[in-house]
Amino acid sequence: MAYQAEISRKNPGCFLFLVDQSESMEDPFAGAESGNGKRKAEELATILNKLIHNLSIRCAKSDSIYDYFHVGVLGYSEESCKPALGGELSGRSLVPISELAGKPLRIEERTKQSDDGTGGVVDQTVKFPVWFDPYWKGGTPMCAALKDATKVVETWCEEHPKGFPPIVINITDGEATDGDLVAEARKVTAVNGEDGSALLFNIHLSSTAGPSIELPGDASKLPDEHAKALFEASSTLTPFMVARATELGLPATENSRGFIFNAQPLHVIHFLDIGTRPANVRLR
Amino acid sequence: MKQATAANHCDIKAFCCPKSGNSAEEYEDAWAHRRAPIPAAVRVAVADGATESSFAKLWAVLLAESFVRSELADAEFFERLEPARRLWRRRLAGRPLPWFASEKAAQGAFAAFLGVQIDAHQNRWTALAVGDCCLLQVDNVGKRMRVVKAFPLQKSSQFTMSPYLIGSRSNGDLLDERIQISKGSLRDGDMLLLATDALAAWLLKQHEDGRPLWNWLYRKLGTPESFAAMVAYGRKNGLRNDDFTLVRVIHHESPVEAKER
Repeated sequence: MAYQAEISRKNPGCFLFLVDQSESMEDPFAGAESGNGKRKAEELATILNKLIHNLSIRCAKSDSIYDYFHVGVLGYSEESCKPALGGELSGRSLVPISELAGKPLRIEERTKQSDDGTGGVVDQTVKFPVWFDPYWKGGTPMCAALKDATKVVETWCEEHPKGFPPIVINITDGEATDGDLVAEARKVTAVNGEDGSALLFNIHLSSTAGPSIELPGDASKLPDEHAKALFEASSTLTPFMVARATELGLPATENSRGFIFNAQPLHVIHFLDIGTRPANVRLR
Repeated sequence: MKQATAANHCDIKAFCCPKSGNSAEEYEDAWAHRRAPIPAAVRVAVADGATESSFAKLWAVLLAESFVRSELADAEFFERLEPARRLWRRRLAGRPLPWFASEKAAQGAFAAFLGVQIDAHQNRWTALAVGDCCLLQVDNVGKRMRVVKAFPLQKSSQFTMSPYLIGSRSNGDLLDERIQISKGSLRDGDMLLLATDALAAWLLKQHEDGRPLWNWLYRKLGTPESFAAMVAYGRKNGLRNDDFTLVRVIHHESPVEAKER
């Protein structure tokens, strides 16, 4: 049965993020939670930083961090796609999570309100690592990005033939300018390891207002053709992912696709199992 | 004069091994047993530190030790965990941690817990549980050993990867709703097995599939090597990779070590 491989330091999982850095990402984001004039590119950067942050916390173990995952970020804009991590990680397609956690571009200090234990709230200073800043320019070569992703996951599967198949997460406003994204997406998900084929999820950040949609089983409620194409390009969730999504309060069914419209996708990194997760730890 | 002690009523053996691929230092379960201050009782505990939490081994040890050193065998035990929590915090205080480790430690450590008090005088047991460590009571009456009780989970299908666990930081969680308590009686020769989740689930599955290991556990399990052999067999037959802990208690109704003095 596919998608059963254990994720461990010896047999790590792989998340490859494809991030849209095209000019249209300058437009306002219409998502309910983060609207308020925020640009799509800013929302994308927030999402990506939070995903890497949460993944780092997930893998943290006592005073170290276990390399349960390798993570890559490819950015696409103008006419090309290239590795988008900066600083000491420039040019790298995939990086072990321990190295990523240890080398953010900078660590900011932010204030957040938290429970004071007696029913009140207190301001708390928290560290907010930043790996990725907003950027936008030129067209949307999403097909080129999917082509590059295919190469990266092919190499990964050759090097980790028994591992859990890689997961590619594309974050975009959905307007590809270089071809048929569904056809290119099929090539990514045709890459096979012994435990199944690579999975492709799409996070759609739109300027079109409307309710957020998470893990739909069909495209009937999606607002436009871009969303429908991204839905079509998205993999069906594995049974474990459906069960985990349900545990986390998401409306998943056996037909659910890895597609999210105008919502924070933080739950996605919990779709892979690395051991017992306390139900009483709140996701951030 | 004839004198019997509580320990005489129970033969207790504990077995453990780390997750395959991990070192012995990375084993995050804990177990403890001790003769309780009240007469003729023993207290046994197992705790299973959650993989997705930090400093979980320390918390599992503190929980198991707290139980066997306590006199409480009801929900109040969980209200008196502040000294253990304080000790957990103290062990981490002042430790220089990178940002991710510090943030993870701030969430606290988590563990599943099962504590059993065996009142040998009255041939009864009381068990407390939060999470998915399990107590399995198996009798030794007829030709086929029967499962008398499985607590707090009864079927292999009830185990999940996200149980509710006890945290090392009391953060307003409604623990009361998650505490499970059970009581039962014992007959001569009854076997109590306290097992962490993956092993308990597998033992129940073997039982459900008509391949119970009760007889083997009762009569053959005796050394670390025999436990390792069972785990090796299990790994080829559906046992999920995890840390494994099993405490086996065999109850003897008569004080077997009673001696004339």
